[in-house]
Amino acid sequence: MRHLLIALLCLLSPVAFAHDGMHMEMPKSPALGASAAFDSHGGLYVVDAADGHVRLRRSDDDGRTLSAPMPVNAVAERIYSEGENRPKIAFGPHDELYVSWSQPRAAPWTGFVRFARSVDGGEHFSTPITVHHDRAEITHRFDALAVDGHGRIVVAWIDKRDLEAAKAAGRPYEGAAVYYSWSDDGGKSFVPERRLVDHSCECCRIALARMPDGEVAAFFRGIYGDNIRDHAFAVLHTDGRAPHVERATFSDWHIAGCPHHGPGLGVGADGVRHAVWYEAGHGPAIWYGQLDPGQRPQQLLKLAGAGASHADVAVHGRTVWVTWNQVDADGYRLMLRRSTDNGAHFDAAREIASSAGAAGSPQLLQKDGHAFVAWNTAQGFRLIRVTP
Amino acid sequence: MKRLVLIVALLFPVLAMAGTLQPLAAGDIAALLKPPTHGERIIALWALDCAYCEPNLEALAKLQRAHPRDIELVIVTTDSIERRRAIEARLQHMKVDGLPNRAYAEAMPERLNFLLDPTWGGETPRVLVIRADGSRLGISGELTPAQMRKIR
Repeated sequence: MRHLLIALLCLLSPVAFAHDGMHMEMPKSPALGASAAFDSHGGLYVVDAADGHVRLRRSDDDGRTLSAPMPVNAVAERIYSEGENRPKIAFGPHDELYVSWSQPRAAPWTGFVRFARSVDGGEHFSTPITVHHDRAEITHRFDALAVDGHGRIVVAWIDKRDLEAAKAAGRPYEGAAVYYSWSDDGGKSFVPERRLVDHSCECCRIALARMPDGEVAAFFRGIYGDNIRDHAFAVLHTDGRAPHVERATFSDWHIAGCPHHGPGLGVGADGVRHAVWYEAGHGPAIWYGQLDPGQRPQQLLKLAGAGASHADVAVHGRTVWVTWNQVDADGYRLMLRRSTDNGAHFDAAREIASSAGAAGSPQLLQKDGHAFVAWNTAQGFRLIRVTP
Repeated sequence: MKRLVLIVALLFPVLAMAGTLQPLAAGDIAALLKPPTHGERIIALWALDCAYCEPNLEALAKLQRAHPRDIELVIVTTDSIERRRAIEARLQHMKVDGLPNRAYAEAMPERLNFLLDPTWGGETPRVLVIRADGSRLGISGELTPAQMRKIR
């Protein structure tokens, strides 16, 4: 009898655990959310997350071999590192190493944006700080990180404080908001955050790129009218000027849902804003266009259709590269298209790598005018040099 | 003691329902997409990250309760079954844990998206309706009343 009781209780225990939403487990295997960047000497640095640590690896041979991982956060914490969330890395003007990530909190969809820095190439990191001054247990996540022309560290993220305030007041509020902050002291502290815009999409990554004048610009999915999920463009001023946010894509894709699909942005020295984005108004599509905020993008081109996802774009001189993941029944292919006339025409899509396992979002990097695609796959991190 | 056993034994079938999250791998897709012998199979795709998914699942569960003999509702999360605890907690919260529930168990989740529906880019919620006559209907986003009427 006692054995029967014990057996029944044992069967029940996993069910009892299922009630416990406070300790959402993370995937057992390292998630594929990763970011990479070159320092000024051409050293490659990669960040991803495993076992509660953002970890940094370095390569001196363009990704062929990677160093043993160095922990960014000494004390383990939960880290978003899947899908549109991934740890970010950027370099300061003197190769200061900046890392940001989003930390899940107890309740669903909540998070804090975290930041740490190293001034010795990743040997030692500062104790992580929370970027935003607001400490409510709500959404502050999908962080994006960039360094401006003055060495200021700019961080933007998706924030639900205005949604929560509207809910408390019984007012309707579509989507979330985008907030941003910056650091004038090399990442020791961040100024109080400011709202960039209301009614952003809730779970799409934000693209940041540096403008020719050194300011950082953001391109992200917003909500227009009744759940039209097009994109907005804005410069993230750090001098007290109010940001001017304008709709920049006009696909008119209506979805009361989560695209899980943020855009990409690369700005040329001539100021041309090369952008890539996803919409599925008439089936899945990745688009390229040159942003003309307030107007329809110019040089609009459908790059890819069904099975295409998570595109990135980069520009050097008059060469523009776009890359994306292409999935079919056989697995993942990493695709590339190139333009040598500043985006007026692109060559045919070609496969530059493939993976029989899962792959994270590709990221275009540049070194000495050459393009590379950072691609984190289940078989390991890969850096693919784009041959002309 | 005997009474305790009885209580636990009586509770067991109810609670055990909560733990029926099953994996969905590439090899399971063909069976899931096979047209039902009658009525409709509704595959309701959702994700932990998607706040719009909850009203969809609740509305589809209500529709299924109204047509229990004609609608087979299968709820599928695109999150990995490695996150079983979080998924099951959310299913219980939405009170849909008693329905057939699957979670992605596939090394390449986007490949599973493609196999389920090549015209779907992974946005959630997503509803895939498969009718006995072999026809299909895919709808992304929170369902409007007009879209609900199209399903049945």
